Amino acid sequence: MKIVKLPKEKLAEFLSCLRAFGEIHAPTKRGEKSHVFAPLKEPAGIELDYTRTILPLKKYFLPPMETMFNFQAEKGYETPAEESDKKYIIFGVHPCDIHSLKILDLVFGGKYVDGHYFSRRSKAAIIGLDCIPDEFCFCRSTGTDFVDDGFDLFLSDIEDSYLVRVGTSLGDDMVKAADTLFQEVTVQDREKYKKKSIQRGQSFQSEIQLQDLPEIMDLEYESQIWQELGEECLGCGTCSMVCPTCYCYAVFDELNLDAASGQRIRRWDSCLFKDYALVAGGHNFRAQRSSRVKNRYFHKQRGFVSQYGRPSCVGCGRCKEYCPAGVDIIEVVNKLRSETRV
Amino acid sequence: MDKPKVGIYGLTGCAGDQLVILNCEDELLDLVGSLDIKSFSMAASGADDQCQLDIAFVEGTVVQPDEEKLLKDIRQRAKLLVAIGTCAVWGGVTAMKNEVDPKKFIEQVYGPAGKVFEVIPPQPLSSFVKVDLSLPGCPIEKEQLLRGVASLLHGDLPKLPNYAVCTECKMAEYPCILVEKGLPCLGPITVAGCGARCPSYGLTCNGCRGPVDDINVASEINILKEKGFTWVDIQNRLRTFAAPAPPLNLQTLEEAKNA
Repeated sequence: MKIVKLPKEKLAEFLSCLRAFGEIHAPTKRGEKSHVFAPLKEPAGIELDYTRTILPLKKYFLPPMETMFNFQAEKGYETPAEESDKKYIIFGVHPCDIHSLKILDLVFGGKYVDGHYFSRRSKAAIIGLDCIPDEFCFCRSTGTDFVDDGFDLFLSDIEDSYLVRVGTSLGDDMVKAADTLFQEVTVQDREKYKKKSIQRGQSFQSEIQLQDLPEIMDLEYESQIWQELGEECLGCGTCSMVCPTCYCYAVFDELNLDAASGQRIRRWDSCLFKDYALVAGGHNFRAQRSSRVKNRYFHKQRGFVSQYGRPSCVGCGRCKEYCPAGVDIIEVVNKLRSETRV
Repeated sequence: MDKPKVGIYGLTGCAGDQLVILNCEDELLDLVGSLDIKSFSMAASGADDQCQLDIAFVEGTVVQPDEEKLLKDIRQRAKLLVAIGTCAVWGGVTAMKNEVDPKKFIEQVYGPAGKVFEVIPPQPLSSFVKVDLSLPGCPIEKEQLLRGVASLLHGDLPKLPNYAVCTECKMAEYPCILVEKGLPCLGPITVAGCGARCPSYGLTCNGCRGPVDDINVASEINILKEKGFTWVDIQNRLRTFAAPAPPLNLQTLEEAKNA
């Protein structure tokens, strides 16, 4: 892999070169403590020392709500005009979020490819950025603290510069377009990078053991833990919304006042909602909150493993940080383990 | 197709929900073009209050025996009855102190003059008649009203959100008022549909839309207690807009507190 060096004082200049490749979206501040990915107006507005954004990158490719097509009684249906060929560059994406995109690509690129998702996904370049974990991060345990692919460029902070890994030919074009800003990597840079990597590895405060968890979950299917969790959980849907790999959506029609036309809409859904498993006749497969919470854990940590060979959790810590009731995935998993393993 | 005959009525309330209908400025012509409005006292004189109706929209709370009579009459004439606004759906602010005898309030507020009218404890429409569709909100959301009317024109009931304000708040990426600011936000137990309007201004959700189906009120109480709010504050907060809702009645709350 090609690796080059970008001195930090050249970053603003590099960002302006990047604008030729598309609209730049980067972490910016919202509220007192939160961050979101948003269009970058001024390079000064970028917040590179953010830990996590409220919503992950899925919002770009599977928006919270979208019109799939418009319909009219006489004319049939037509797809809404997309924002042409507008290209995006999402700058400053952490490894866990890049992993989550790889997971979503798998899910939406399965037997029935989701055109809505990929029409947007193919227009976005990803520029990664390494990070220092906080108390909520457990990506080291999920094996998602580092990325080998899934990015066009990936920046690692080595004090006064970034080491830039070039992941794709598009990434290479970006570097070439700003050729004069980049330098060759020296032996000292490599030493700095190694030191930084070790430091980063040592700064994780949370860990989770996911190995053999599918079996443990099967054994604990009837556990009292789910009941207790159902009493704690508000069913508010926050964890699903902020989860980078929760991809469920509901599809429904909205009608216009002319009584002859409307839109087919898809909107994020969550297995924690009471209506999620509601079917004709008023039957509900998961009428109890406890069974809905259990379902969410089972899908992430057990069902997904059977289907894709890995859990869909990437250890980003969003569910734990944003849960109003303070439900902590690490505590839940530890409790489940303690019932079965010493 | 004949236009459906519609009546729009207000019982005790601020008339804010009827005002939302008039505030649908861009859609008002489409709205009156698709409906045959027989009665809408707030907007037009010359109401026909005897005719049969396809749809009746009713705002407000029932607080007088006369209103009960009027509501039952509307119900009898209408094929579909739609409760608009939290007062009509849940009782609203007028019903927040139903545990106190209304005669006491009348005496305090009006003195001897209060004796000329009769009152009953304020109740939502569903305490007296069958309600076919409930559009909550203080006031209702214009978007929901228009979607609701469009669905009814198609002969169907609209699909309303049955999840919490938190969901819409996160979809819009507003910082969490409860987690980040530690303020007593009712987003986790309040039904969505407003696009998390108050949190979008950095304010707490006050629960004006009423409870979402299957709320976990015990967990919400626990969170607020842990943040240091008193039991009186928590109760008052929970019971401002939808006190007659079963999960918010005093006994249920007392049990939830001790759970």
